[in-house]
Amino acid sequence: MDRIRLLYHVLAGSLIVGIIIAAIPVYAQDEVSSSIRRYKAYEASTGYYEEHEVLPRRQRPLITIPNIRQGLFPYSPSAASVRSRSRLADSHQGIRFYEGRQCWDCHTAAAMDIHTVRANLTCRQCHGGEPIASINYYWSPLNPIRRHAYVCSKCHEGATASYASYVIHEPNPAMAKTFKSFPVLAWAFWIMIGIAVGTFLLFLPHTVLWGIRELFVRKKTSGGEPDDKE
Amino acid sequence: MTKNRIKRFTPLQRLSHIFLMVTFLIQSATGLGRTFMETKWGQWLCWVFGGYDTAREVHIWVGIIMLCGFVLHVLYLLFKADWKGFPQSLFGPDSMLPRPADIREFFQHVAWFFGRRKQPEFDRWGYWEKFDYWAVFWGMAIIGITGLMMAYPFTSTKWMPGWGLNVAFWVHRIEAILAMGHIFIIHFFVGHLRRHTFPMDHAMFEGSVDLDAAREERPSWIGRLEESGQLDGALVTGVQPGLKTLYYIVGFIAIAIGVFMLIGALVNAPLVIW
Repeated sequence: MDRIRLLYHVLAGSLIVGIIIAAIPVYAQDEVSSSIRRYKAYEASTGYYEEHEVLPRRQRPLITIPNIRQGLFPYSPSAASVRSRSRLADSHQGIRFYEGRQCWDCHTAAAMDIHTVRANLTCRQCHGGEPIASINYYWSPLNPIRRHAYVCSKCHEGATASYASYVIHEPNPAMAKTFKSFPVLAWAFWIMIGIAVGTFLLFLPHTVLWGIRELFVRKKTSGGEPDDKE
Repeated sequence: MTKNRIKRFTPLQRLSHIFLMVTFLIQSATGLGRTFMETKWGQWLCWVFGGYDTAREVHIWVGIIMLCGFVLHVLYLLFKADWKGFPQSLFGPDSMLPRPADIREFFQHVAWFFGRRKQPEFDRWGYWEKFDYWAVFWGMAIIGITGLMMAYPFTSTKWMPGWGLNVAFWVHRIEAILAMGHIFIIHFFVGHLRRHTFPMDHAMFEGSVDLDAAREERPSWIGRLEESGQLDGALVTGVQPGLKTLYYIVGFIAIAIGVFMLIGALVNAPLVIW
C-alpha cells in the first residue's frame, strides 16, 4: 500500500515539476516583438497581445491608438482613411494615380530622415517592393515582430528587437505634437534647450557688459604704471 | 629676473587644460563635420579627418580618451584634496566648490558693470571660473553617456529600448552646441578680449599671473597670502620670451579654429536637414 502511495506522490510531484518546467519558454521562443513588455513580462498567458502580434482582422471600425487618440470618432474621415491603412497587405490599395506618384509626394517628412539623407537609402530598401505592406500588417517584414531580423540587420548585423525600436522617421522634437507622439523626445529636447538658452541668456549679456565695463578701468602691470591714460 | 609673478596653476593642471583644449577642438570639428555633412563646409571638416566614416571613428576614440582623462582628473582630485582639513577645506577659498560668497560676488560684479557698486574683491577663483570648471563635469557626464550609448548601440539597447537612441542623439547634440557656444564665445571672450586680458590671458599656459594684476583683480587672494606669510613662497619669475611666444601661437591657433567653427556652423546651419 505504502509503495503505491509513494508511486502516487512521485507521479504527482513529477507532474507538478513537469508543468513548471514546461511553462518556461526556451530561448528560441523568447524572440518577441516588444523589448519592454515581452508578452506582459511574467504572465504565462493573459490573452493580452500587442496589436501587431495578432493576425489581421477583417474590419477595424474604431481606429485608435491606445492612450493617444481614443473615442468614437477620434480622427477626421481623411485621417481615419490613412490610419486604417496601417494594417493592410497593400497599404496603398485604391489610391488614385498611385502608379504615377513618388513616395515623397505624400510622405514628404518621411523622406527627410538620416537613413534617407545621409545613408542614401531608398524607401523600398526597407519597405519592400509592390505591393508595399503596412508596417503593422501581420506578414509585413517591417512588422515589429520581425523588423530587426528582416530589415535592420541587412545593414546593422546583430540588430535586436529592442535595437529596431529606434524611430527611423523621427518626429521633429521641437513641434508641439511630438509631446503626444514621442513625449520622451519632446521633453528631453525642450529641457536641454531650456538649459542651453538659460545659460546663454545669463552669460552672454554678462560677458558683453563685463567687456564694456572693463574699457573704463585701468589695467596695471608689473611695470608699476597703468598701461593707459585715462 | 625678478619674481613678479604669482603661481596659479601646477604643470599637471596646465597639461590638463592643453589636453582638454586639443580633444575638445577635435570633437567639435569631427562632430560639426558630420552634422553639417550636407554642406561643403561640413564635407571639408570631415575630409580633414579622412571622411564621413573616419570622422566618426576619430570622434568615438577621442571621446573615450576624453572620458579617460576625466576619470583621471577625478582621481587626481581625490588624491590632491586636503583630507586633513576635511570638510572645512572643501569649502575654503582655495577650493573650486561653490560658496555663498560666489553668489554675492556675482551680484556685486553685475552691479559694478552698471557702476552701482565697487568691484568685488575676488579670492583665488571667481564665480565664472568655477562655472566653467563644473560645466565640464556636467558636459562630460551628459555628452559622454549619450555618446557611449550611440557608439555602442547593440550593447546600450540591451539595457534600454532602441528609441532611447533618438533621445540620446538630441541630448548629445544640444549639449554639444551649448558647450561649443560657451567655449567659443564666452570663454574665449573672457580669456582674450577683456581689456584686462587682451590679447590673451596666458595664465593657464604659463602657470602664473602678474602679481600687480592679481592684486588688482583678486585682492582677497593676495591679501590672504600676505597675511599668512605665504606670498613670497608663491612668487615665481616669468618664462623666457621664446616660450611666451609659443603660448601665444598655441592660444591664437585654438582661437582661430574655434571662431572658424563657430562662424561656419552659424552660416551653414540653415542648409542642414536637422
